[in-house]
Amino acid sequence: MSNFLNHLPVLVIIFPLAATLLCPLLGHFSRDFSKRAVIFGLFLSMVCAFIQLIQVIKNGEPIHYFIGGWMPPIGIEFVIDGLNGLIIVLVSTISWMTSLFSSPFELLERGNELRSVGYYTILCFLAVGLLGMSSTGDAFNLYVFMEITALSGYGLIAIGEEKGPIAAFRYLMTGTIGASMYLLGVGFLYALTGTLNMADLAVRLADSHDSPLIIASIACLIIGFGIKMALFPLHGWQPAAHSYAHPAADPMIAGIMIKIPAYAMLRFFFCIFDKSSPIIETFFTAISIMAICGILYGSLKALRYDTYNKILAFSSIGQVGYIAMGFAIGNFYGLIGAVLHIVSHAFMKVGLFYTSAALKYKYDIHKISELGQVYRKMPVTSLTMVVCALSMVGLPPFAGFFSKWYLALGAIEKGQYIFVAVLIVSSLLGVIYFFRIFENMFMGEFNAIGTDNPVKGKFEVPWQLIIPMCMVIVAIVALGLFNSFIINKVLKVTVLEVFLG
Amino acid sequence: MIIESIGPALVVSIPLFSALLILFFGNKIKPNQRESITIIASIIVAAIVFSMVSEVKDGNEYVTTLWNIVDGISLKLKTDAAGMVFACIASGLWILTSIYSIGYVRGHNENNQTGYFAAFATCIGSALGIALAANLITFFIFYEMLTLATYPLVAHYRDQKARFSGRKYLAYTLISGQLFFAAIVWVYANYGTTEFIAGGFIEVGSMSKNLMCILFFMMLVGGAVKAGVMPLHGWLPSAMVAPTPVSALLHAVAVVKAGAFCVLRVVCYVFGPKAALWCGGAEILSWFAIATIILSSLVAIRQDNLKARLAFSTLGQLSYIILGISILSVYSLTGAIYHIVAHAFLKITLFMAAGAIFVHTHLSEISTMKGIVKRMPITCTAFGVASLGIAGLPLMAGFVSKFNIIEGAFLNSKPIGIAVLVAAALLALTYLIPVVQIFFGKGLSKKSHNLQVDSLCHSEALDASWSMVIPLVVTVVISIILGIAPNAGLNLYDLAIKAAVSITGEGGIFLAG
Repeated sequence: MSNFLNHLPVLVIIFPLAATLLCPLLGHFSRDFSKRAVIFGLFLSMVCAFIQLIQVIKNGEPIHYFIGGWMPPIGIEFVIDGLNGLIIVLVSTISWMTSLFSSPFELLERGNELRSVGYYTILCFLAVGLLGMSSTGDAFNLYVFMEITALSGYGLIAIGEEKGPIAAFRYLMTGTIGASMYLLGVGFLYALTGTLNMADLAVRLADSHDSPLIIASIACLIIGFGIKMALFPLHGWQPAAHSYAHPAADPMIAGIMIKIPAYAMLRFFFCIFDKSSPIIETFFTAISIMAICGILYGSLKALRYDTYNKILAFSSIGQVGYIAMGFAIGNFYGLIGAVLHIVSHAFMKVGLFYTSAALKYKYDIHKISELGQVYRKMPVTSLTMVVCALSMVGLPPFAGFFSKWYLALGAIEKGQYIFVAVLIVSSLLGVIYFFRIFENMFMGEFNAIGTDNPVKGKFEVPWQLIIPMCMVIVAIVALGLFNSFIINKVLKVTVLEVFLG
Repeated sequence: MIIESIGPALVVSIPLFSALLILFFGNKIKPNQRESITIIASIIVAAIVFSMVSEVKDGNEYVTTLWNIVDGISLKLKTDAAGMVFACIASGLWILTSIYSIGYVRGHNENNQTGYFAAFATCIGSALGIALAANLITFFIFYEMLTLATYPLVAHYRDQKARFSGRKYLAYTLISGQLFFAAIVWVYANYGTTEFIAGGFIEVGSMSKNLMCILFFMMLVGGAVKAGVMPLHGWLPSAMVAPTPVSALLHAVAVVKAGAFCVLRVVCYVFGPKAALWCGGAEILSWFAIATIILSSLVAIRQDNLKARLAFSTLGQLSYIILGISILSVYSLTGAIYHIVAHAFLKITLFMAAGAIFVHTHLSEISTMKGIVKRMPITCTAFGVASLGIAGLPLMAGFVSKFNIIEGAFLNSKPIGIAVLVAAALLALTYLIPVVQIFFGKGLSKKSHNLQVDSLCHSEALDASWSMVIPLVVTVVISIILGIAPNAGLNLYDLAIKAAVSITGEGGIFLAG
């Protein structure tokens, strides 16, 4: 048992990795086998992630895991503290939910065996990449997992809707630049310090924080992470990619694929670099300007679209700005707000894209003007949408309100009143675009709904779609009401010691 | 003394829970079963609230402290005197409005009745949460829930007009809500607490005068919009497209009263009389209230639609409360808090009468209602009595509260306040008494009268159905009783005095009795 506990950090990744490799093999025999392998692998990963988080909380100190027993700086180290323990739980939970959510969609693929098996393989691979990015304590290893994430992302976008391949190609181009920038930044750091382990980097950089190499490196890293997390003005690839990706995989792409780079950025800026140096301060100012512009741009742009996915995609650009704003605030409550927003926004966006996929599944609805009182036919979907949207706007008692509260509190404590004003304006713009959706959904023309895709069973859509949506609702309400437990039990120690200590 | 009790939490959660029940099972069970959920819940809640009154009157507080809702602040409910007054009104009138609603929606064959009753219960639950909230965060959570729960009621008919009013309502309430939110964060960051304390926790001189004045109005705007202080009143007249019981609820019980109560909490329990007067905010607020009282009365005279006229009357009456709060003396505060009670009973009577007339005869314009008393004698009588009460006639509840506010204005030497209050009472007569006159008057000619009223009556019965008539008779009788004996029943007058004394910290002759 203790043996098992010792290997948790790697087990979280091994299970989905094994499922990824098995999936195409099993697919030769039966499509169902491969599907179940992936769902089961991700489920095990989720269980391990939960146990791991509990272990971290119980021990009160981070878990260090050396892969293959090789000590750093030669070997690769996984470091799990309260913060990324939570992020890993988030990623594995959403991955498992999405794998379950995807299963009815293969019926729509009209028996294309290769495509269905391929879809599951790539989806699971995406989960591997994201989990790895969150676990690793090695800057180069992070790059490897980032590429894994990006490659599977390209695939999932390309097998999506008609315009998917073009969106994927665009993301491929931009994403490669982002990854290269990251690699360049890490290269500079390596040249300066001769190590790639994050903890070692922090130690060795402590007395050389104004060298020009560091400045170049930070600039490269900001561009690299900025592209990956779709931070304004580096978001160009994002709207198309999020709109045209495979509907079932879209929740994962839109919900967590842009959050993990944000988390990685947090790690770099608060663990590796000395945040009190004037250079970092300058870069934070740059990030805060990007964040403010992004929040306003994303919210304003979301107003003008009729396509549901486009609205959600542009809203994501704004929401990523919230997270970047939390980094730029940089005090305790600012970081708490940013981390909570990573988690809660992941659930909200995933939930909203679930509803989008459910609407496509059942009625092939893409535009909000086609919604026409769809709530009569799809109550659970509508409820999910309402809860997620209200949380996005930041209304209590849902999770979004509380991350906004901490961000605003941090901003005021730091004297950055403009951030509070931006938060308010963005919430109000959010009200406009989400209530436009509500108006169509609850008060539209009743006859506007398209043709029905008959669904077996007693629910509006198959149960595999219902369960993830219900889980999202529960998660958003629970994250909202019990946020102080998460802060006190999980985040407080890590944020105070590791990030601000 | 503080009594740890689960009571306040039950009071808030039972309506919310019943709303969920109605929402999930409403369409699967019979309408009678669905409505019985509402009725049972409302009776239980009222019983719990009323049972807590006597202890609160003796100076004890029931407190429920739940878990920490944000880092450092807990979700906390308590029953102080002022909150108790509002809670009594909201829970007591919920029973009556529910009974009335059942009659109305069935008499009028409304759509989406399940959603209607669920939203209604949520509104009441949020209003009770607002009444019992012990700190600003708890308050704000229920405040925003109230906004959201009212939206489907305002947009109930789902046509173009209803959508437009819904948008207008959201625009006003959410913008002000966000400012309120920013102000709460600001207060917490500066003072490290959000707990309501009678007399306030913001100290004079803790920030510059102008800055504090800005903070004062950022906090206040949330309440002022809901209370319809001009120029922030725009949503209220357009929200009249909603079904009449909703208007009654909006006007008399939940939303506007929550707004007035929010102003009370902010001025007296966050800032406190000293800081509010020092930063000059109370003075400015009183001028807004005075302007609203006069202007709304003048606008009300010109309205031909009965509900619109009542809506503008509400604006004026609510600003009495605001004026009473902003004078900040023990008498005016007593009057202001008691006016929450008095106006609730009087205005709900008027709205229920208007709704009964509409369901029974399908008339909504005042000029078409000539001689309607022959068709609906009880309703029209109740309407007449309540009109006199709104104008502040002695022996009606409205008199007690207005007299106190005037006395407060007199003792604080605010002659303009007295002049306004007297003038407004006269104006109230000019916009409500003509309506009564039309009700009781003869038709233009016998023939046209018959054509107008008789042909539109869609039932032969004398007066509306019992479930609509009984509630409005009950409310008008209560408002007379409260006028003669303000302390009758629940001792709400004593509670109001208690709250006012605890805020100002002064007693005086007033308390000798």
